[in-house]
Amino acid sequence: MTTGKTMVEKIMARISGGTPVSAGDEVRIRPDFVMAYDFPGYTDVIFRTVEEKFGLTELPAPERFAIFIDHMVPAIDPKEEEFHAQTRAWCAKFGIDCIEREGIGHQVAGETGYGVPGAFAVHYDGHISQLGALGTLAVNMPRQTLVEAFVREYIDFQVPQTVRLNLVGQVRPGVMARDLFHGIVQKLGNKFARFAVLELGGEVIEQLSLDGRQALTSISMFTGALSAVINPDQAMLDHALPLARINLDPVSSDSDCTYSAEYTVDVSEIEVMVAQPPSPSRTTPLSEVSGTEVQVGYIGSCASGRIEDLRAAAKVLKGKTLAPGFSLHVVPTSRRIMAQAAREGLLEVFSDCGAFVSSASCDFCYGRIATMREGQRAVSTGTLNVKGRMGSPDSEIFLVNAAVVAQTAIDGRIPDPAQMMAEVK
Amino acid sequence: MVTDTLSRLPALRGRVAWIFDEDDYDIDQIIGVKNIRIQDLDELCRISMVSYDPDFQSAVRPGDLLVGGANFGFGHPHSPPMKAMRHMGIGAVIAESFSPTYYRGETAMGFPQIACPGIVAAVARWDELEVDWTAACIRNHTQATALPFEMPTLTEQKLLIHGGHLNYLLGSLPEPTLGKE
Repeated sequence: MTTGKTMVEKIMARISGGTPVSAGDEVRIRPDFVMAYDFPGYTDVIFRTVEEKFGLTELPAPERFAIFIDHMVPAIDPKEEEFHAQTRAWCAKFGIDCIEREGIGHQVAGETGYGVPGAFAVHYDGHISQLGALGTLAVNMPRQTLVEAFVREYIDFQVPQTVRLNLVGQVRPGVMARDLFHGIVQKLGNKFARFAVLELGGEVIEQLSLDGRQALTSISMFTGALSAVINPDQAMLDHALPLARINLDPVSSDSDCTYSAEYTVDVSEIEVMVAQPPSPSRTTPLSEVSGTEVQVGYIGSCASGRIEDLRAAAKVLKGKTLAPGFSLHVVPTSRRIMAQAAREGLLEVFSDCGAFVSSASCDFCYGRIATMREGQRAVSTGTLNVKGRMGSPDSEIFLVNAAVVAQTAIDGRIPDPAQMMAEVK
Repeated sequence: MVTDTLSRLPALRGRVAWIFDEDDYDIDQIIGVKNIRIQDLDELCRISMVSYDPDFQSAVRPGDLLVGGANFGFGHPHSPPMKAMRHMGIGAVIAESFSPTYYRGETAMGFPQIACPGIVAAVARWDELEVDWTAACIRNHTQATALPFEMPTLTEQKLLIHGGHLNYLLGSLPEPTLGKE
């Protein structure tokens, strides 16, 4: 019987009153942060429920709450703008933070001090898991369950198991964090971390930047995981602690803690990858689809669209012209990232080659704008490639890294992986 | 405490209305991705399952059950398909295992989702099944067999008893106090 605890167990112990807990225990916990983005059928329903069904005039510990406006930005009709206006008014009435036009909320949360090492955050959207890159356990709740966090300071929760994944070996040239994730799914499947928190570690993680770590943790749901975490190293602490909205002692998993399962993947074996339509688990080497004709490209989203992705894309696109008729949308994940890209001259590269460059918004990722028609194919760094995700149910999405999107935009067809490796050299 | 909760869980007995035997079943296929924005329940019921069995709606009786394979609910599940299934009277889904987003979402709606390894091989369509909460097994009355299932957590049991998370919260239960159960 080991006495060591996982990072998840330590966080759960702190927010359930301090007594040690173990995976599987059912506890009552106080989330450090409660987050949501305004979206019809979600926040409007939660707001109405709080006021009309529970009769509340204030939220429990309102300083914990943040509402992001990042979908339907910018509004395309008066109804959408009215929806945002109601969100702003409700947040003002209840004295909670409403953050808009800063970028995609999951990224902005990390930029604005919600990614506190050792904290626990809830949201209704699973991509909040990317705060795990900073050592924050961030879990999505079903909408009805998130209501509980709005009306009670303490919520019921079962301490999740932790699945440990060690990434070892040498990352190949041209392989980016997205490829690593798709490679992991190819090797271990789409359910190896089902209902558990995926803890990523090993020498490869130690060498990854925050951007790369966020790319990996943001889409951990496609392993079946509830969320993902990385034990914060000095670089992450140096980044996160000066921004932190609350003072907490960072936590890490003990060396003798109990994982429900432990895996090791040698990334030297992972090539440039693709998640083929119509499922994030249909991951194969890119070579399987090389030569496929494509008409649309998207670089952005809460999964990828950070400065490293933009640099990789700009390197490919510099001085080039898009294939005739190709639509490339480049959407930096946040306002800060866009400003950084401007300072580095990347936006000029994108614009010069014929790309459409937009301020941050979630809307490209789910086809609200730049909507595809029947028969079109896209290469995308978005989160998901299910049918109809970016428009017509009869369009197709290939999820790839940002450099592959860029090369495809020039060629009008998906490149050969050898070409991508040559590009890097 | 635990037995008290068990005795209040919804009684589930009915026929196997359909077996989704493939792994990673995407529930949006029940109505088809093209129809995913439809909200009208009658319309949803009319189009549900037609690609599997055009007579599904007329054949189903209240209390009937769905059976599924491993990681049932994988993908990017939307709410209309299971709203339609509940409206038709489907009492529960019993699957080899579930995808977490789907499982937690439907459980929060009060729709029982029961993980029962081995269920696909143990049933045939229209077999009469019963969920025995006390013995934690699925009884197949047609074949006179039984198979153990994985008991939902105590919190999940409360959601099922109250018919969803919202009802549970509204149901005059005392404000939770700090600490472990």
